[in-house]
Amino acid sequence: MNWNTIRSGLVNTAVAAGLLAGVAGAANADDKKLKIYLSLSYSGNSWQSEAANIVKALAATPPYDKAIELKEVISGTDVQAQISAYESMISDGAAGIISFPVSPTGLNRAIRKGCDKGTLFFMYDGTVTEPCAYNVSYITAGFGENTAQALVNVLGGKGNIFLSRGVPGNSVDKRHTDGAMAIFKKYPGIKVIAEYYGMWSDQTTQSETAKALAAHPDVDGIWAQAGEDGAIKALLATGSKKLVPVVGENSNGFRLALANPAYQAAGFKGVSSGSPPATAGYAFKLMMEMLTKGRKLTTHNIEYPLPWVPAEGVKLCPGDRFENGCNTFPAGKVPDSFVTEVFEANLLPELSLVTALDGKPTPGMTIQPLPGEVTAAPDTPGINCQKCNGNGDIYALTKIKATVQP
Amino acid sequence: MSPPADTRGLRRAGLGSDVWNAIALFGLTALLIIASRWISSGFGGWEQTKAILVLSSFVVVVAFGQQLVILTGGLDLSIASVMTIGGVLTFNFVGASPTALIWGVPLILLVTAAIGGLNGIGVVWLRVPPFIMTLAMGIIVYGATLGITGGTPRGQASPALSALFTASVLDVPLVIYFMLAITICGSVVQLGTGFGRRLYAVGTNPAAAYIAGLPVRWLTFLTYAISGASAGLAGILMFGYAGGATLTMGQAYQLPSIAAVVVGGTSILGGSGLYIGAVGGALLLTTFSTVISSLGIAEGWRTVIYGLVILLALLVLREELYLWAGQLVARPVPLRQPGEPAAKPDA
Repeated sequence: MNWNTIRSGLVNTAVAAGLLAGVAGAANADDKKLKIYLSLSYSGNSWQSEAANIVKALAATPPYDKAIELKEVISGTDVQAQISAYESMISDGAAGIISFPVSPTGLNRAIRKGCDKGTLFFMYDGTVTEPCAYNVSYITAGFGENTAQALVNVLGGKGNIFLSRGVPGNSVDKRHTDGAMAIFKKYPGIKVIAEYYGMWSDQTTQSETAKALAAHPDVDGIWAQAGEDGAIKALLATGSKKLVPVVGENSNGFRLALANPAYQAAGFKGVSSGSPPATAGYAFKLMMEMLTKGRKLTTHNIEYPLPWVPAEGVKLCPGDRFENGCNTFPAGKVPDSFVTEVFEANLLPELSLVTALDGKPTPGMTIQPLPGEVTAAPDTPGINCQKCNGNGDIYALTKIKATVQP
Repeated sequence: MSPPADTRGLRRAGLGSDVWNAIALFGLTALLIIASRWISSGFGGWEQTKAILVLSSFVVVVAFGQQLVILTGGLDLSIASVMTIGGVLTFNFVGASPTALIWGVPLILLVTAAIGGLNGIGVVWLRVPPFIMTLAMGIIVYGATLGITGGTPRGQASPALSALFTASVLDVPLVIYFMLAITICGSVVQLGTGFGRRLYAVGTNPAAAYIAGLPVRWLTFLTYAISGASAGLAGILMFGYAGGATLTMGQAYQLPSIAAVVVGGTSILGGSGLYIGAVGGALLLTTFSTVISSLGIAEGWRTVIYGLVILLALLVLREELYLWAGQLVARPVPLRQPGEPAAKPDA
């Protein structure tokens, strides 16, 4: 009855069949096209499909549409399935693999093997510790500590809080929570009265938050990873006149709630930050510049800027693009669970709402060159390097200053 | 509840033990809620009871179909995917429109009933073992949902469906009345109709039921169709609760749907058990998971405890216990007097 195992088994079979068909097809295809693979671990939430859609849209945007042949493989949530997928791609002669990795360490051997055969590996959002791969991620940019400080600030340094975490055992969840706890521990007045796993899903977060609220109606604030929209829905469902501050990630529903005057009057405050699906597009363009323009990168660990939108910063977009600093879509245009950070004006001007929703290129758009500089991510043991030491205070605040002292 | 007239299965197991089982589950749930006050000061009150009732509504609905299927000796492993497609379709096609709700919900229930019906056809006419048929159907439906949505379900929240969870009458959320209505209707279908009573005969001995002239194949087919529709309804409710749909929304309910039925006293081999028992099982398991969540222990151990609780509930709430308890009441065992030897050595 292990649904995941069975499903990934089927997925494996499907991948193998797909690859066979791909190999057969490639023989007829234009040999000059670069073979690029998009390897997803999992599809099923908005974030994953938006990130994949962005890569697909960019691959179909001229001049890349003529230059590359992109194939997408979804291998499920277990490491072994993604290893097999990588190995099949490498033997198919992949020039580049852009991937959301399931594990920071479990894929290293397969990646090493690919690097030796000349395959370029670009990881987005999730990272790997194999030094030959390139990691493009916001993880090291400090979501946990910055949002924790924002919560501490609005609570005036004391109060009972919930930690709504991600997926247990996942390195991203650990990095975020460690960062947050580094701040919360400084304040003796802050008490974590419930800690639960929302699995980065709105529904799970909602039911877990509802359970925690039943036990602790006296909560003063919620620190949440992705799924925060469910935490708000659970708060609203109690029917209480009083809302509490929430810091969380980038769902459209959360941003709309932050800007809602009625909620604000009931005590709702917070900051929207966290994982941007646009990272996938940036990673893809970097990889393509290396493959087609001979771009050299001085570091293998590239940091993507951390989004940071407090309530007063929420600005509705009239159209389908992020223009004039807008960062949220009106209710009804996209689902509440839609992750808003799908654009980046400087790095990814090619994108629009159709790219994120349908994986289709923006009409009339061509690929624009990236800026010459990249931001190097700090070494973080277990996240982007294996045998290394974190330099200095890896949990130093970058987005916000402490307004209350412990 | 009057005992049904001619149900072999019920007579064999004794209606009494099933009803006692259900009462025991409701009692245990109430006790657990009261006792949880010692775990957390916020517990033990009406707020917690409301939260538990709301969270258990999905399992209560999905368990109706699952219980009927298990009663006939089958098993439905497709409900996670069917719940998901129910939620995703509602999200997509009904959305915020109140008129779409009126025709959309019955239509979506028909679609999910048809998916369940396909399970029934596979099990009854193609003779595929139920767990393989429904598991395969689950994977196919999951794949189809992924394909149709392209990974991102899209649509709008439905204010009317969300009102089930947010609006209250007499401080009771509407969904709790709805759950009560489902429980009553489900029990009436099971005990007050020929259809319901015949299922016991099918589950106890399909061959005998066939010889006795019952349409065994059609009855079995119908249970799967009903299971599909009840999973679809649970998905629609889940969508109302969350205001959106994801491709994994049903996954958390596959095991609880079976656990609630089995903890609720329905024999996994079929032929005996009541829906009201499954309702009790759903409430008890949800209460446990709520209390366990608040214990403040690491996720791994929490899951271990939840698994142990299900196992323990299955062991403790077995039919034998009630038979044994019944015997105790009927023939009181003479108590040993103090000082009397435990057993006579040369007896």
